[in-house]
Amino acid sequence: MIELTVPDAASMEALGARIAPLLRAGDVLLLDGELGAGKTTLTRGLGAALGARGAITSPTFVLAREHPTAGGVPLVHVDAYRLPGAVELDDLDLDWAGAITVVEWGSGKVESLVDAWLRVALDRPTGVAADTDGEEPDEPRRVVIRGHGARGRELEAALRA
Amino acid sequence: MTAPLVLGIETSCDETGVGIVRGSTLLANVIASSMDEHARYGGVVPEVAARAHLEALRPTLEAALEQAGVALGEVDAIAVTSGPGLAGALMVGLGAAKALAMALDRPLYAVNHLVGHVGVDLLDPEPLELPAIALLVSGGHTSLLRVRSLTDDVELLGETIDDAAGEAFDKVARLLGLPYPGGPQIDRAAVGGDPAAIRFPRGLTHPKDLERHRYDFSFSGLKTAVARHVEAARDRGEEVALADVAASFREAVADVLTAKAVRACHELEIPRLLLGGGVVANARVRELAAERAAAAGIELRIPPLALCTDNGAMIAALGAALVARGRPPSPFDVPADSTLPVGTVLC
Repeated sequence: MIELTVPDAASMEALGARIAPLLRAGDVLLLDGELGAGKTTLTRGLGAALGARGAITSPTFVLAREHPTAGGVPLVHVDAYRLPGAVELDDLDLDWAGAITVVEWGSGKVESLVDAWLRVALDRPTGVAADTDGEEPDEPRRVVIRGHGARGRELEAALRA
Repeated sequence: MTAPLVLGIETSCDETGVGIVRGSTLLANVIASSMDEHARYGGVVPEVAARAHLEALRPTLEAALEQAGVALGEVDAIAVTSGPGLAGALMVGLGAAKALAMALDRPLYAVNHLVGHVGVDLLDPEPLELPAIALLVSGGHTSLLRVRSLTDDVELLGETIDDAAGEAFDKVARLLGLPYPGGPQIDRAAVGGDPAAIRFPRGLTHPKDLERHRYDFSFSGLKTAVARHVEAARDRGEEVALADVAASFREAVADVLTAKAVRACHELEIPRLLLGGGVVANARVRELAAERAAAAGIELRIPPLALCTDNGAMIAALGAALVARGRPPSPFDVPADSTLPVGTVLC
């Protein structure tokens, strides 16, 4: 398990960029965290580092969006929030083996579909400190990264190095 | 010689639209929506949309022909949305258009959905003079365009870097415990609320952001600010002031959308602005746009609502313009392109 504190949005993008070069076709990243935790921000950094075509924006509306990348392996960005479970996620017919897949809100749905994954849990401070007053506060996020399955643990180790 | 009779098919998202125009005269605009089928999922589900298009296309086409009072055989050209949009949904419309074009032996025009939203203005008796700035805002898109020529020169000035505006409405509705789709729900909840009660952030409007993202939008920070506000109230054991939160959120969206559009008009010295997309249904967005355009001496054009949301008439209108300019039709193997760039008007 890796624990980090990510101070702002730029650092969240940088974390994505740090993970990107470790990834290859078949790798799955699970992003956990409430609305506004930084899931899409992390994916944006990851996509930029992979040379992904098209803007990495929220896939909530379309459920899944495929971005061709400079390296040839497409980046598939999924938002599973609206999918009730693994069956519906499976119905999307994603090419898990041929792509780098990032799934937001995927916990409890992805695990039965793939053997290994890297889970990145993003925790946004909640509560009374919320006094935004027109500014977008850059608040630190607590990040916990954990690999599952052989390939997941390999990624976690590589990230720790 | 009479102007060409053009049939337009639109299936990029959850509305099945068939429109018929003769030149720049609107003859029919029929829309079947599968919105109700998506509501229980809290948003559009691509597979559901594709299947609904398949079922709705034929009846919608027949209703449009009846409304226009023409027979299918009289149609001179078929126009269809080939992107951007949901791939499966696009394929249904594109497949139907190809089949019709081939069976009737008529040319096929596979066109850009976003440019279609601008092209709808051609149906106005006095179309907006070009160049013009266009602001297109819907569940899936938030784009600012510079249009020099509808058929040849459409430039993307900026777009959302995270959530589309309509998506922000849906997510904030979710945060507030309101159902999908979020836009009308938030409008309802905002009645009697104070839009200045909470100063929510305006994404990408700070000087440091304007350098890199002058005409881009961001609604993710706004959504997070609403989430934090709601959580903070709950932590303090207070009721969330729903009307104030909804009104303040809506104000932040309307403010940043219209401010950026007016800024583009001003900086690029184009005093003409066209609004399009489903979010234009939001009364506050329209109102603020009208207020600011008037103050800045900008001619503002907002098409009637049935032509703002996704529809086939706009695709037919754009198709008719392409025919009139003598542009060569699309090949029959033209594919659906879910991320078609706005610069490509005709595929």
